[in-house]
Amino acid sequence: MNELIPAFSFQRVFVEPWTQPGGGFIWIALMGFFVTAACGLVGNYLILRRMALVGDAISHSVLPGIVIAFLLAKSRNSMAMFVGALAAGGLTTVIIETIHKRSRVKQDAAIGIAFTSLFALGVILISLFASKVDLDQECVLYGEIAFVPLEEIVRIGGLGLGPLPVVRMAAVTLVVALLVILFYKELLVSSFDPALAVSLGINSSLVHYGLMAMLSVVVVSAFEAVGAILVVAMLILPGATASLLSQRLPLMLGLTVLHAALSAVLGLHLGVWLNCSIAGAMVVAGTGLFCLVWVAGLFKWYAVRSSNRVVGNKSGGGVSDLLNSST
Amino acid sequence: MADAPPLEIHDLTVAYHKKPVLWGVDLVVPPGKLVGIVGPNGAGKSTLIKAAMGLLPVSSGWVKVFGESVAKNFRRVGYVPQRESVDWDFPVSVMDVVLMGRYGKLGLLKRPTKDDHDKARECLDKVKMLPYANRQISNLSGGQQQRVFLARALAQESELYFMDEPFAGVDAATESAIIALLHELRAAGKTLLVVHHDLPTARNYFDMLLLLNMRVVAFGPTEEVFNYETLQKTYGGRLTILSEVAEAVRVKG
Amino acid sequence: MSRSANISSRTNRTIIRLLYLLSSIFYLLCAHSAHAARIGDISETTLWDQALRFFTFQDPSVRYALLGSMLLGISCGLLGSFLVVRKMALVGDALSHAVLPGVALGFLWNMSKDPVAIFIGATLAGLLGAGAVHLIKQTTRLKEDTALGLVLASFFAVGICMVTMIQRLPTGNKSGIDKFLFGQAAAIGASDVKLMAIVTGLAVVVIFAFYKEFLVTSFDAAFARAAGFPAQLIHYTLMLLLAFAVVIALQAVGVVLVSAMLITPAAAAYLLTDRMHRMLLLASLFGMFAGALGAFLSFLGNNLPTGPFMVLAATAVFGMAFFFGPRHGIVARWWRQRSRSARTQRENTLKSIYQVLEGREFQGEGASLRELAERRRETLEEVAQQAAALRAHGLATLHDDGNHVFLTPEGWQRACAIVRNHRLWELYLTHEARLAADHVHEDAEKIEHVLGEETVRELERRLAFAKTDPHGRAIPGLADAQRGTAPGPRDDLVGFGKRP
Repeated sequence: MNELIPAFSFQRVFVEPWTQPGGGFIWIALMGFFVTAACGLVGNYLILRRMALVGDAISHSVLPGIVIAFLLAKSRNSMAMFVGALAAGGLTTVIIETIHKRSRVKQDAAIGIAFTSLFALGVILISLFASKVDLDQECVLYGEIAFVPLEEIVRIGGLGLGPLPVVRMAAVTLVVALLVILFYKELLVSSFDPALAVSLGINSSLVHYGLMAMLSVVVVSAFEAVGAILVVAMLILPGATASLLSQRLPLMLGLTVLHAALSAVLGLHLGVWLNCSIAGAMVVAGTGLFCLVWVAGLFKWYAVRSSNRVVGNKSGGGVSDLLNSST
Repeated sequence: MADAPPLEIHDLTVAYHKKPVLWGVDLVVPPGKLVGIVGPNGAGKSTLIKAAMGLLPVSSGWVKVFGESVAKNFRRVGYVPQRESVDWDFPVSVMDVVLMGRYGKLGLLKRPTKDDHDKARECLDKVKMLPYANRQISNLSGGQQQRVFLARALAQESELYFMDEPFAGVDAATESAIIALLHELRAAGKTLLVVHHDLPTARNYFDMLLLLNMRVVAFGPTEEVFNYETLQKTYGGRLTILSEVAEAVRVKG
Repeated sequence: MSRSANISSRTNRTIIRLLYLLSSIFYLLCAHSAHAARIGDISETTLWDQALRFFTFQDPSVRYALLGSMLLGISCGLLGSFLVVRKMALVGDALSHAVLPGVALGFLWNMSKDPVAIFIGATLAGLLGAGAVHLIKQTTRLKEDTALGLVLASFFAVGICMVTMIQRLPTGNKSGIDKFLFGQAAAIGASDVKLMAIVTGLAVVVIFAFYKEFLVTSFDAAFARAAGFPAQLIHYTLMLLLAFAVVIALQAVGVVLVSAMLITPAAAAYLLTDRMHRMLLLASLFGMFAGALGAFLSFLGNNLPTGPFMVLAATAVFGMAFFFGPRHGIVARWWRQRSRSARTQRENTLKSIYQVLEGREFQGEGASLRELAERRRETLEEVAQQAAALRAHGLATLHDDGNHVFLTPEGWQRACAIVRNHRLWELYLTHEARLAADHVHEDAEKIEHVLGEETVRELERRLAFAKTDPHGRAIPGLADAQRGTAPGPRDDLVGFGKRP
């Protein structure tokens, strides 16, 4: 057991990551933040639209797209990967819709069939062409965020910006944030009330497919760092935590970003301490934050419930008791 | 307790998410009556029968069925849920559904016997659905689905029946078939509580009416209860004050 | 007849082509796995040797792998069926991801792949996950899908952290815990098979014994509770069995893809039958088949993960059911629709011939293609094709180099029937629905093809056996249909179906 959980040393866990020469951990933290923030922003809308599990499905099923793009482009060409992932994401949506509309299989089962099949196909392709693809099964599961600082540095006019994946992820996050701000009202209305959106002249299905495309792009750019499954947590956790704290969308979006920053930094320290997958640790940290908020809310929920019970126990109370308890 | 009324409800209050839907309902239903439960949307009609059968947690009050708690007497209670409450693509045949009415009497580990099959067939024949016995249930029209539900309730051979909107979305032929069946059941001494949404027909169909809008507005023989004043009370604007208070309770609570 | 034979041979060709495509994909995969095998550790074995090794069952590990895969297929198919009909497919997904930390804990118990410890740990984790979903739904505003995704991903992340910590240990690397992620049927041992047999047996016995309880609570939970069934208890029993099924499947299928073994075979069965007991049977058969095929395929190539192959095998079964299912399959439905529209087309041609004859007050024999083309406002080629279709179905004969169409007795009867349906319906709409006479034609054009014999009798009764339609034309009666015969061209009878 002692071997499993390394001794805690404040110096090693909290100081060294930031003082280490080369600043590798800073890039990891930044990468974690950008991934979680971008996923969280998109995820908020998935939660609002009750499509959290569509996010789950898409994040699994982009895998064959990425692998085929790898095989065809014969390199880590990000453009090819984006195209492959978008195609796979689109295919998933089409398969789910086809199964659901053309047979009596319900939507939940259709989702389950579509994404597991595509994911299985992706894993098989990886195993068959292991020598040609710079990917392995573990990477698919939890990514290689620790290798991010080792990537080539992007330079613009001699000025080093940072490792390529971080710069790319930052750009994606920025674009997602911009889109969310620009199309705030369209996203809000079509998520809340599609019928109203149509009457206001907002093309709901366009917004839907736009959101799906955004989801695919976010998932694929996060893929190398956190893999295909942990990304589900990053899609759902920030939004779920935020929606426990606030019911107003702008505040929720802000809280999402805050949750992303906190879970990235805390997760980094946790991962360094336990010497485990840092991406996994970031999700665990995010889960911790969620539980904290949830438990705090639980106290309130319990208080309310027990006050309800007082009403129930008083015999002959009924209406008058309910009225009394409200005053 | 041979003389205990089929259904006695005392001061029943039910709340969803802190918002009361039924307030202080008192009710004693005499045996052998066909009772219609009428009220506007959201008046708690379905909630009342579900709470009476113990399907919902109640905030206060109690329910007795033939003098006992419903948990002890569930064999004497039959239920026809709303048609939309089930998935009609479910892989069962009409016969399977009706046989489910016999399940409650079978006990653990027992399979339906030939007698149960005969009984189910007899009930299907009563609602004129016997030719459809081996059909999958998704191949039925709305009225036929409702009749299958009725046959299942008949197969339960209960003494007190709760029916949730059996007339919703059925054709005229089915509607008159159902009402004939209800009269037949009443003649056999059963007690029936039927949630109904259509005021004009309510007057002709039922012996007694329960006018409900979060609480009992009126309950009694149809000719006594069915008048302008009580209906105005049930459907009119006077009770909005109650829902306002309910909302205040919810927000503050 | 030749036309339908033509169409069916065309469909057959399409099906054969599809099968050919599928099998070539299969061979391609096999070829690649052979390649992978060659570059793998056992560089000497060929695909053929591997297949031979598999089917002779000499190797105990092959026997265990195959037996285990089939057992897990049975239990997953059985329990998955209830998931699918209860619309809880994604609960299975969440549950299967949530077991990972339990697997890691079970592994840590005595640092080995002890099946019982892992079984207990994983079951507890799965149930904890299911409980967490329930609790989140109960106590917060979050909806079910969010709660499921949340639990799925958080539990999985905790599991991943633990797995990477175990792998870092000196003993951890050889432990094979990574095999739990994507599954390796070859890692199944004798004690695993024993456990799988016990659990599968338990699932079969419980479902058989409490079949009616499972059935009634799945179909109509409110009714079941009112009838005194402990719906909650049955739900928890189902979840417990589900957790068991997931856990025994882990070793061969892997955490990530177990849910597919629950959902896909059951969904395929759901498409093929209308009875729950048959669905259970089919689903466990499909699961068994997918398990065995997956084990075989992954065995062909060395070191290939088993889970994905099983899942694709299950998907192939689902695909077959989806496209070629006899009742709900896409092809069957397309075929039905196609033959229906062909029938409608033939009936419309018959009707036109009747109208041509009626226009001549039933003088003269048959209709020429030119008359028919004018009547239908179509080209001669189109009408010729329709006439050929009538001939193919024995409804008409062609003469004068195919320029003249004569109805056979059967054709005449069908023509009378369809015109009769049309005019009765028009009359019914104008009488009963009080529609204007010029509003009813379009509707009747559609209804005439679907009116059944009984409905026609009912219409006749309601319309008091009326003789003429709203446009003043005669409605052909049963007598007309029977009297009419289709004379050959040299027959001396003048016309057919001539009105007295």
